[in-house]
Amino acid sequence: MFARIVFNIVQVFVVMLFAPLLAGTVSRLKEIVQSKHGPSIFQPYRDIWKLFHKREYISEQSSWIFRFTPIIVFVTPIFVALLIPVLTSYPLFFAFMGDMLGGGFILALGGFFATLAAVDTGNPYGPMGASRTRLVGFLAEPVFMIVFFTVSFVAGSTIPYIVQQRWVNPISNFFEPTHILVMLAFYMLILAEGGRIPVDNPSGHFELAMIDESKGLEYSGSGAALMKWGGEMKFFVLICIFLNVLVAPWGLARTISVKELAIAIPLVLAKVFLFVLTLVAVECSLAKLRLFRISEFLGAAFVISVAAMIAWVFAV
Amino acid sequence: MTLIAIIILPLIASVLCWIAAIGKRVAAPITMVTFLTLLALAVRVAFQVSANGQLVAIPGWIEADSLGTLILLLVTIVGVLACFYSLGYMPRTTHDKGLLYHYYGNLNLFIFSMVAVPVVVGPSVAWLAVEFTTLLSVLLVGFESSREALEAAWKYAMITLTGASIALFGFLILFWGMRQAGGDSYTWAGLQSVAPQMSPVLMKTAFLTILVGFGAKVGLVPLHTWLPDAHSQAPTPVCALLSGVETTAVLYVILRLLPIAHVVLGTGGERWALIFGLFSVGIAAFLLIQVHDYKRLFAFSTVEHMGIILTAAGLGGAAAHYGAMYQIVSHALTKSLCFFAAGTVLMVTGTRDIVSVKGLIRRSPIAGSALLFGGLAIAGAPPFAVFLGEFAILKAGMEQGKYLAVALLACFLVIAFFGILLHINRMVLGRSNVEFSGNRGIPWPCVLTLAFVAIPVMVFGVYVPQPLHQILMRAALIIGG
Amino acid sequence: MTYSTQAATILTQLNALAGAFFLLSTFGMVATRQVQGCLRFFILQSLFLASSAVLLGLHPLSWHLIGVGIINFINKPIIIPWLLRRTISEEVYKRREITQALNIPISLLIALGLTISAYYLAAPLLQVGAGLPALINLPIGVATLLLGAYILTVRREAVPQLLGLLAMENGAFFASIAIAPELHLFVELVVAFDVLIAVFVIGVLTRAIHENIGTTNVGALAALKEE
Repeated sequence: MFARIVFNIVQVFVVMLFAPLLAGTVSRLKEIVQSKHGPSIFQPYRDIWKLFHKREYISEQSSWIFRFTPIIVFVTPIFVALLIPVLTSYPLFFAFMGDMLGGGFILALGGFFATLAAVDTGNPYGPMGASRTRLVGFLAEPVFMIVFFTVSFVAGSTIPYIVQQRWVNPISNFFEPTHILVMLAFYMLILAEGGRIPVDNPSGHFELAMIDESKGLEYSGSGAALMKWGGEMKFFVLICIFLNVLVAPWGLARTISVKELAIAIPLVLAKVFLFVLTLVAVECSLAKLRLFRISEFLGAAFVISVAAMIAWVFAV
Repeated sequence: MTLIAIIILPLIASVLCWIAAIGKRVAAPITMVTFLTLLALAVRVAFQVSANGQLVAIPGWIEADSLGTLILLLVTIVGVLACFYSLGYMPRTTHDKGLLYHYYGNLNLFIFSMVAVPVVVGPSVAWLAVEFTTLLSVLLVGFESSREALEAAWKYAMITLTGASIALFGFLILFWGMRQAGGDSYTWAGLQSVAPQMSPVLMKTAFLTILVGFGAKVGLVPLHTWLPDAHSQAPTPVCALLSGVETTAVLYVILRLLPIAHVVLGTGGERWALIFGLFSVGIAAFLLIQVHDYKRLFAFSTVEHMGIILTAAGLGGAAAHYGAMYQIVSHALTKSLCFFAAGTVLMVTGTRDIVSVKGLIRRSPIAGSALLFGGLAIAGAPPFAVFLGEFAILKAGMEQGKYLAVALLACFLVIAFFGILLHINRMVLGRSNVEFSGNRGIPWPCVLTLAFVAIPVMVFGVYVPQPLHQILMRAALIIGG
Repeated sequence: MTYSTQAATILTQLNALAGAFFLLSTFGMVATRQVQGCLRFFILQSLFLASSAVLLGLHPLSWHLIGVGIINFINKPIIIPWLLRRTISEEVYKRREITQALNIPISLLIALGLTISAYYLAAPLLQVGAGLPALINLPIGVATLLLGAYILTVRREAVPQLLGLLAMENGAFFASIAIAPELHLFVELVVAFDVLIAVFVIGVLTRAIHENIGTTNVGALAALKEE
């Protein structure tokens, strides 16, 4: 019991600690592929550190929503990290609180407040970015739904710890068309939700073309730091859900032992690193889509997720 | 041996025609000689089949029975007539006479595909042959390279090939059904022998998909839309072949399935045939009234007649089947007569528009009377062959007690009768008030063809020769199972 | 579980995966904007068809199915694109956006609806075939048949219409891997040849249309419309 609580807290710390590293690695690798030098992979830590030591300015016109949002954006991924398997293939102490749908709702709450806060200040770029995020969001929503429904349909459960075992037990299940297609659809969703190319350009600095970034333009000081860190954690959590629940539970700790947990941390980071490699490959080979083509990108994801479900129905 | 010769001969002739050095000079004579030889061989096959019941060239692949022979005879007869007609018609209407050898080369290929359909006994090979009838005639339909002709060829290719793909699925299901029932020879006879063990679900699916798929090619409503276009835009001799025998050759494949379906499904297959048939007759009868183009008029009439034949096959019973067979013969001959007449009118007037042709009989007695003769014959006026066929079918239906189907069919036939004659009347009779742009003279091969084909159309209406009667009876028995 | 049955299960799963990608590449044909893209998806589709035949032919070993796979592999991804390039001049199908009657998201939704209805169409057949190792090929084949017909109706450009037709044929053969694996190899060969002739004839026709009318947007041809 005690071990489970400790492990759960370790899990949260891993997410908090390594999320900025993930962001730094992605941008560094991209720069290298594009024959540039690029910032150190630890740059996000320095950014967050620096932002925490700056003064925060808050518009007089804004309401409590604007002040609360950074906290919510920061806290929601932590909550999700309590629920999902990041390091272990067995449920930890707080895992009873919610299933995959619950996790999805919690993340959506953060997104909801970020949208409200963007509208709150009256900055013209904020609402623009917010409405675009919502566009992407509600196109992605049905895909999320279908993916989760398919997964729970196949595994007979929405508990991530049961789902992840389904894919490797027996091993031939890994090659199930449903599994491969669900993976494909969710990968596209991560690109859309994480604001990556081809949906959004995370390193763009042109406000008119921004989707995700422009929501946080008004923040400064510790607010900006929390928003940034929260966003990075959200991305990390999404990748963990993808890698550990939807792909396979390989490399996770199987028993309650400190040793296995200690081995699991580098293994999970290695998996994330592999994912980052594919992400860099995608980002460097595709161009950002025009805004109205995003619906086609997510439409394709939708078709793939439905095809996953159809493949399951056909096979039975 | 004869059957193999029948298949190979047009291929050789076609190759000869395509070789420009030979084709440019003697393509037409080569084709004419080939077709005449084919006819002679087909007659020989008919005699052998009537003596032995069937003729086997390669067991399990190429064989002929009475039903196949009937189709084979019709294809070769109409082929000869069309080729002879082409001798007069094509040089008159083609823009680039240097390319006529393409036409004859293609014509040979087309005939090859059509003689192949009735003599192959494997359903999968029959599917291939039907597919080839489309592929090898597409370029003939678009031969005139006008905007309309190319559009018609495109529609023709797309719709019928789509239908063929659907039918392919049906034939694969049929194969599955045969394997499941324990059969191992995928031929019509092989299917018939394992039919009692076949799964009804598979048979039903196969029959329906083939009926719909090949129905597109036969011109059954609702996939008939390409037919009036293609059958009106192709060069006239090709129209005669398309309308007269190509549709029939494809219908033959559907008819082949009926006895098998009868064993597996009871009257289920026949009921579908009846529904599709009546639907086609009905829709075509009403569409006939609104046409503006006299070649389209005859094309819609083909839709109608295919419907009649399918209805007859669906009514069931030996008498109705005999009527269907008889109707196949009379339709093939009469429809080619109609198209030959229409082609003659086109040569004289230079227009396909019904409204701009009036008082034709005063301008050109030959074209006018041919059109009137053809119109009356195809509409089913006594004493022509079509009338006898339709009458036999209605009578057989009454004897079966299928009053509703018979009443509907009779009603549609009357509508079609008036529809056709309404237009023909306007064109042929009345005072001529338009100056015709076409050349007044009609080439002699065309006149001769008209005369040739008019004889059986009239004679068969009052008298059916004994050998023909024999073949028809046997063919009807084959459909009956 | 013995090694042999495990291998068989994995092969069945891989075949199902090939089927899923086969279906997805058909969706790609529905959704893509460029004629070239449509052709690429068709090539992909044919590759998955060939791989499905080969996968099922591996265990239990059936040279016949492997032969079918090889025929399809040579015929569709290699010869047909070559033939298209030879018969239809480059400018007709390079860098050309396809006009289509419906926009792409709606098309995709309709395509999904068709796929689901294909399952219900195939349901009675599935009951008959219960127990066949590659049964999943049957509903996917039916779905592709419908999707091909849909591509044919919605696309207005000549080459994509032809590709829709070929997709239908692919669908029928994908189903046949499950239901008629013993079909005579001679017939398969002749059908492959027949597909080539179809491509050639329609290619020639397309060129004639392009030369005489000046467009390959066959959907816009309406000289023969009456009423």
